[in-house]
Amino acid sequence: MKQRTREYKQRIDQALATPKLQEALHKFGDAFVAARAKAFADYDFEALRTAIAAAKNKILENRQHYLDQFIENATAAGATVFLAKDADDANRYITDLAQQRGVKLVAKSKSMASEEIHLNQALEKAGIKPLETDLGEWIIQLAGQRPSHMVMPAIHMFKEEVADLFSKVTGKTEPSEIEHLVRVAREQLRQGYLDADMGISGANMAIAETGGLALVTNEGNARLCTTLPKIHVALVGTEKLVPTLEDAATIIKTLPKNATGQAITSYITWIRGAVPCGDEEKELHIVLLDNGRSALAKSERCKDALRCIKCGACANVCPVYQTVGGHVFGHVYIGAIGIILTAFFHGLDKATEIVRACIGCRACVEVCPSGIDLESIILHLRETIGEEEGIGTGKSLVFRKVLRNRALFHSLLRAASKLQKPVTRGERTIRHLPLFFSSLTEWRSLPAVAEKPLRDLWKDIPQQVEKPRYTVAFYAGCLNDFVYPEMGEDLVKVLNRLDVKVTFPQKQNCCGVPALYSGDSETAVELARQNVAAMLEDAPDYVVTTCPTCTMALQRDFVEHLKDNPVWAAKAELLAEKTIDVAGFISNVLQPEEGTFGKVTEKVTYHDSCHLKRGAGVWQEPRQLLTQSGHELVEMEHADRCCGFGGSYSFSSHPDIARRILEDKLNDIKQTEAACVAMDCPGCLLQLAGGLDKTGSKVRVKHTIELLAESLK
Amino acid sequence: MPNKKNIERFSTAANAVGAVVASLTDAAEAATYISEHVAGAIILPPSSSLERLGLANELAKHDSELIQDEFRTKAAQASAGVTGANFAIAETGSVVLESTPEATRLASTLPEKHFVLLDPSKIIDDGDDAVPLLRRFHQEQPRNFLAYLTGPSRTADIERVLTIGVHGPRELHILLLDGLSDDPLEN
Repeated sequence: MKQRTREYKQRIDQALATPKLQEALHKFGDAFVAARAKAFADYDFEALRTAIAAAKNKILENRQHYLDQFIENATAAGATVFLAKDADDANRYITDLAQQRGVKLVAKSKSMASEEIHLNQALEKAGIKPLETDLGEWIIQLAGQRPSHMVMPAIHMFKEEVADLFSKVTGKTEPSEIEHLVRVAREQLRQGYLDADMGISGANMAIAETGGLALVTNEGNARLCTTLPKIHVALVGTEKLVPTLEDAATIIKTLPKNATGQAITSYITWIRGAVPCGDEEKELHIVLLDNGRSALAKSERCKDALRCIKCGACANVCPVYQTVGGHVFGHVYIGAIGIILTAFFHGLDKATEIVRACIGCRACVEVCPSGIDLESIILHLRETIGEEEGIGTGKSLVFRKVLRNRALFHSLLRAASKLQKPVTRGERTIRHLPLFFSSLTEWRSLPAVAEKPLRDLWKDIPQQVEKPRYTVAFYAGCLNDFVYPEMGEDLVKVLNRLDVKVTFPQKQNCCGVPALYSGDSETAVELARQNVAAMLEDAPDYVVTTCPTCTMALQRDFVEHLKDNPVWAAKAELLAEKTIDVAGFISNVLQPEEGTFGKVTEKVTYHDSCHLKRGAGVWQEPRQLLTQSGHELVEMEHADRCCGFGGSYSFSSHPDIARRILEDKLNDIKQTEAACVAMDCPGCLLQLAGGLDKTGSKVRVKHTIELLAESLK
Repeated sequence: MPNKKNIERFSTAANAVGAVVASLTDAAEAATYISEHVAGAIILPPSSSLERLGLANELAKHDSELIQDEFRTKAAQASAGVTGANFAIAETGSVVLESTPEATRLASTLPEKHFVLLDPSKIIDDGDDAVPLLRRFHQEQPRNFLAYLTGPSRTADIERVLTIGVHGPRELHILLLDGLSDDPLEN
């Protein structure tokens, strides 16, 4: 194992052994979601993020033009603008300037860009003292750490630790009372602004139209840092450019709401040019930081990440972040956006571990105020790293030699069904595995591979549809096919009742997501081709699915994989159009009449699968079907939070994190006192059934299609 | 004409973030209000609306210690700053203060209390409506420092507990006074 990987695993273990941190981040996540919803109650979030994306896209499409416009206007207003190509360049400019002007003390307000380039270290090396004045940043500076959140840098620390740090500064014992500690910071830092010869700030926006900067802050320290010292250096990433004041106003309307649930922050500060300072005018330097941003802008697949307005919401809602915090799930920038920015600003090697830490639940995509499809970009980076560093010989062999060869893959699965007998003892669940596999079943039983897969049972499943309304092809996916074949039988039963005939194209193969998520895109492309051919062969009216991850593969990934292939592109698009998840198909296309289903009086709670709700946009449909079929539906807390499955995430890459996320979900299910938990994903089903079985729970775990089959008259 | 609905919306939003909003009738009342809330020195930077109002004279009647020069050296000792406002935004309860002159910035950043005198007819609907005004500032001034002030200074950096007054003012008082100014470009 590489040293880097070892250190990373140590950080995970350390974070997992700090329940206080997890509790704080979970509470924060809940409070954030509520505050954010309240802040946006009277606003159209979709319209706002579309507008932000559009403004930022203008910059992406015409970067040089807006950069020139900004520099020209800022210079005309008396600013000196320096374009720093990388971290060294920016650090050198700022330290040289400080040395030339005889600066001893720098008062800094919060700037992630300065964290990015490790400016404090550069200043200290040059004999200049940087004083962080943002409360959170000051705490971090005193502790000798790095921020664990973009907006709340010290969110991982507790008031007792802060009191200890402050006591060292004041030389007396400071009580760990928050209001008092804030007072101490006010008093201690006050003199810093007055004594500092230079103020350093970041900026939230650089407005091309005016050459001005806008700062979005709460504490008031940035106003002091930009007012009192005679020299002001603003360190600004080039992605902060916006074309006009209107665009800036849109960001101001959105950013505080999406960052902290505030309608607006205490201060919005617009600074254009060198303003008066004492009897003279201020010396204003704007350091525009590239440091990988140009390269990012050139990456077709990743460039949307430059639309980020640094609100931090992608971390707030992330189950992985809530479990391990930003010191594990990030480098300097944290959370989903942090993975991407790290790869471009700090190098792919710094992102190698965290790029695999994303569980792919798309919670971040839903709240991103710039409409960035973070998950897709992360997947792409995983492919790139897979190509650069390899994905591991074992995996590579399985994907290339086995997955791509359907006959071999399926015969191996059939063999597994027989070979597993010593551990299954003829049951459908594996509760213990011997020796070094044992950790796999320590916290979750695993289902056995079925004796006969659905593809072999298919010809014996009776279908009686006299005048079919539709003929649909069923894309089962590996879990449904080889582990849960009974789900397929239930699907036939329900669809037949609704006058739909179902076929099972025998040449269908794995959807390729396991390979894709592991970074093997070549195998994923080959599988896309095999499946497009197989599923369209009999020209079905629709292709229905029971697994939302497969659904996303058929609807989204295949199109992407094959878009440059003239033979396959149109076919992939046709398949995407025909593909629909079974709940959506029944609810929206078939629209069953009242009385189709009998009345069952079971109390059921529903778990939203990530890729169904945030991929396919389906969440009302299964609830409607469950209610229509007589189930008493009780909502659990965090119904749409990931269950921690994530395919290989919970088996090989991050089982310890997956286990904690599962525990949260089991707890939410338990709170409802429901007799059954329903879902529309065999992966979630494997995870939840395994977790509930291990805890001895009696709660039934069912796919919606199984419950519908049960309730048929 | 002051728009009653906007004043209400503004006051509700400002109160929600911890600002105090009071409606007053004249300079004497404003001076009384301020002196009742301040024990120490008051920074009073140049302001066309407040000069027309004659606020300095009224404050002097209360024996308030006023700082009206050498702001840079005296500001750190002041207990309060008093400024006008260019305009205000109902949507968020923000006052907008053109702060290009350094004295205005010192008065609104350093002391523990900030008093803003605002003509309620200058309350606009929302942040989007502020843009044309911002643009006018930029057209008329080659350089500027503009500030939206919304409630007192705040932080939640320790355990996410909202705490008021970390670096900027701990109190923000917005005093509404009809007839003070109808020009959003002046304060």
